[in-house]
Amino acid sequence: MDNDIKNLEARFNEDIKNAVTAQDIEFLRVRYLGRKSSLNDLFAGIVSLNKEEKARAGRNLNILKQKITSCLDEKLKGSQSSEEKFDLTFPASSGDKGSLHILSRVNQEICAIFERLGFDIIEGAEIEDEWHNFTALNFPGDHPSRDAFDTFYLNIPPVDPEKGKHLLRCHTSPSQIRVMEENKPPLAVISPGRVYRPDEVDATHSFMFHQIEGFAVDREINFSHLKGVLFYFAREFFSGDARLRFRPHFFPFTEPSAEVDVSCFKCSGNVRGEKKCSVCKGKGWLEILGCGMIHPHVLEFCGIDSSKYQGFAFGMGVERPAMLKYGIDDIRLFTENDVKFLEQF
Amino acid sequence: MRFSLNFIKELFPIEMPPQELVQVLTMAGMEVEHYEQAGDDWIFDIEVTTNRYDWLSLVGIAGEIAACTHKKFNLPHVELIKKPLIRDRKIVIENISDCPFYIARIVRDVKVSDSSAGLAQKVAHCGINSISNAVDITNYCMLKWGNPLHAFDLDKIEGNVYIRRAKTGEKFIGIDEKERVLSGENLVIADDRKAIALAGVIGGKNTEVDKNTKNIFLEAAIFSPVVVRRSRRAVGLDTDSSYRFERMVHPDCLECASQEASDLIGQLCAGAFSGYQQAGKKPLVKRQAVRIDIAHMNRYLGEEFSPVKLKNILANLGFSTTKESAGNISLLAPALRLDIKREVDVYEEFSRIYGYNNIKTKIPFLISPEKRVLKTGPLGRFYAFKNELRVFIASLGLKEIITYSLESGEELLRLGEKDPLPLSNPMRSQENVLRPSLLPGMIKAMRHNLNRSQTKLRFFETANIYQRADNGFREAGALSLAASGSHEDFFYLKRATQEIFIFLNRPQLEFKEAELNNFTNALQVYADGKPAGFLGKLDEKIRKEFDLKENLYFAQFDLNTLLDLRRDKTYKPFSPYPAVWRDISILAQNKIKFSGVEKAVKGVGRELCSYKVVDIYRGKNIPPDCAAFTLRVFYQAADRTLTSEEVDSSHQLLRDTLSKINGITLR
Ligand SMILES: [Zn+2]
Repeated sequence: MDNDIKNLEARFNEDIKNAVTAQDIEFLRVRYLGRKSSLNDLFAGIVSLNKEEKARAGRNLNILKQKITSCLDEKLKGSQSSEEKFDLTFPASSGDKGSLHILSRVNQEICAIFERLGFDIIEGAEIEDEWHNFTALNFPGDHPSRDAFDTFYLNIPPVDPEKGKHLLRCHTSPSQIRVMEENKPPLAVISPGRVYRPDEVDATHSFMFHQIEGFAVDREINFSHLKGVLFYFAREFFSGDARLRFRPHFFPFTEPSAEVDVSCFKCSGNVRGEKKCSVCKGKGWLEILGCGMIHPHVLEFCGIDSSKYQGFAFGMGVERPAMLKYGIDDIRLFTENDVKFLEQF
Repeated sequence: MRFSLNFIKELFPIEMPPQELVQVLTMAGMEVEHYEQAGDDWIFDIEVTTNRYDWLSLVGIAGEIAACTHKKFNLPHVELIKKPLIRDRKIVIENISDCPFYIARIVRDVKVSDSSAGLAQKVAHCGINSISNAVDITNYCMLKWGNPLHAFDLDKIEGNVYIRRAKTGEKFIGIDEKERVLSGENLVIADDRKAIALAGVIGGKNTEVDKNTKNIFLEAAIFSPVVVRRSRRAVGLDTDSSYRFERMVHPDCLECASQEASDLIGQLCAGAFSGYQQAGKKPLVKRQAVRIDIAHMNRYLGEEFSPVKLKNILANLGFSTTKESAGNISLLAPALRLDIKREVDVYEEFSRIYGYNNIKTKIPFLISPEKRVLKTGPLGRFYAFKNELRVFIASLGLKEIITYSLESGEELLRLGEKDPLPLSNPMRSQENVLRPSLLPGMIKAMRHNLNRSQTKLRFFETANIYQRADNGFREAGALSLAASGSHEDFFYLKRATQEIFIFLNRPQLEFKEAELNNFTNALQVYADGKPAGFLGKLDEKIRKEFDLKENLYFAQFDLNTLLDLRRDKTYKPFSPYPAVWRDISILAQNKIKFSGVEKAVKGVGRELCSYKVVDIYRGKNIPPDCAAFTLRVFYQAADRTLTSEEVDSSHQLLRDTLSKINGITLR
């Protein structure tokens, strides 16, 4: 009897290997578990055994039956799934896709470019005082040079009256002062963040926007380094063949000062075409930032010896490069937070 | 500033074609914003930066064009006549710091008429409307020398001339025919009876020169830039005159302008000069001495420049060399350039004419061991942390938003924020305070999208919030998370919170039920015993008031606390042995909180490794005051496969504990 059971199991193991289709499997089910199966015959044969053998054979046959059943069930499942055709043209399942805001992305991208050059990234506070926002940056008091830097003031008593009234910084340059007041050169720092100016909101203006300030101070930092750093940035951010144009300008906190244009990444300054380029409006150049050598007064205000140390600084908006690079035509899209806008980036 | 090329050519010959000149000037810092041909003339519109008051005069512009085209420009010479003196009227300056210097000339028996075509065109091409020969002459001289002049009708001035502060409430009608009420902020020119001009800003209607004017009182003066600025702001005016006074006028040009205007009125209006008078004192103008060290300049700009080229450029700009020795040059600044004060100003002058774009481009080496302090300091770490956190939260499926830091105080009041930091000069009431929470911005972003048929929104923001504090105020980074929808979306947010704490390597966070302002249903989140933030369902009342079409589930955390909590991750070995699970079906009365069940589960012992709710059912077989759910409990040991007896005994322990809880029935 024991041998018969073993043989039956061996035979089944052979047969099941060759069974592929559901039909094969159903055939085996009838053959091994059906009424006329050998297994049934063996069960029937138990009667003729003695008590001890009867118990053992019964147990073994039961185990085999279970084994065969589960084996067939397993195999059937496998064969069915390999066979079944289902409708693959159904739509993909939906799910939430998270995203970073495009301004965050652009901000991070710009910061990362400068990080590779060795700049550290330090954010400054948005609530500032007159000293850090103006005076230490060499703005004369009540002078037209402040006109381009209209500012929101806070209606709260000054914490330190010597530093003047509290205000919402109108540029990221106060970070420069903060870092230089508290740290000694060599310094190379990028400082991104929100800035505020009382401006009516329209397609290109907002009372809140983002800027990135950068500066480096050491014994030998010079104007050609400023050019090199910004050139590297433009090639990384805009395009591998970007060219830069430095136009002399005036900022109270830098001397010499410059405004910087990048060659249009769409028409690359090739303005001869029939239609005016939509990005640069046919000028071939895009103004992207202001910069210069840090004015010695500014270093001195921060307690840095300007006869030993010199440095450069630059500041750029984030919205504008983002709008240029991604063809975004309305600054309000950034703060409206429409999902149809957010999900594109 | 708009100017005519023909006008410049009166002062200095220009050979360069206008188109080329535009480029050259722009690249030297005089940005030509617009230019156009007008007959045989060209009109240039340039941007004048606030330091270059000299570009508000044609002589200044001519000097710049000369330097840019590698030539030298000499100021025209004007013969000054200061006699006879005016004896019948006094000029009285109330405060010398408001008006350091005032000169007057009287020209008698003039015939005021329309200007000649030539003069009219000249001022018109510089953007000033032609009025009459006498007025056009004052404008012509202002354009040429940069000093505003004013012609009064002498016969309308009653008595002496005073330069004094206006009285509060004093009324004044300008030549623009608008009446303005003045205050002590305003400086006026007055006679014995009335104000006749708003000093440095606009002349008065009452003394205006017209076609019947016979005698002219010609004013030239220096007014304090700050006083003019405050005065014109107080009355909301910005004129060609105030623009120049605010930026500074040069005392030498002032005298030339006055003299030339008086001469021209004599010639063109058939008048005769009859007297001169001055008050105050002509400010001493000394050309600023600056010494430059060529080696330092080279080190500053990053290139070795040819000394010959340097000297040529400086000479063309109008610098004079007074001494030269061993790599040092002592210079006197150009006559009109009061803005040049020290060596870096000279470097800029030289380099912009040399061409910024001709200076070499080099990459500096900015990495040094002593500089590493910043990156690893608290501020450097904060930036990196925020970036990492943002990327992580986006990976959870939330979209980042950016909302305004400024809010409406009135709207904040509806959220129970009574005392936010206010602006003193807001533009609109919609943005008049700084927000103390990220909730209002989130509500707006949600509402915008819910109103556009979006549902089940998931947003986050990292931004600063601003609150009052003992020492004034506190500005701190915050993180907000939000989900819109229904009940289960709260648990989405709870899950996101847990994931964030796992990201911080602080999975043992604690949720404590709380009632917060605007959030009756809320959990305070604690980690390490410290409160880190909260999450909750926005109250129905607020939801309706702010017109949100779905429920809003909102969480806010303090970013500095999160950064403090963060711990470095180390690998934690996990059991290679299989976990075995058992289900328990629980019928719990609503008074029983899941936290009660949780407590029992946690008490079972360390082999119970985790649990989850796999099924929640409501409906016909469940009593209305009850919740039914299936709890799946996992058992696992670190060092062996658990036998089913071990699992069964632990599980039985759990069942016993649970069944003892009043209100729980196991099924
Ligand atoms: Zn283009």
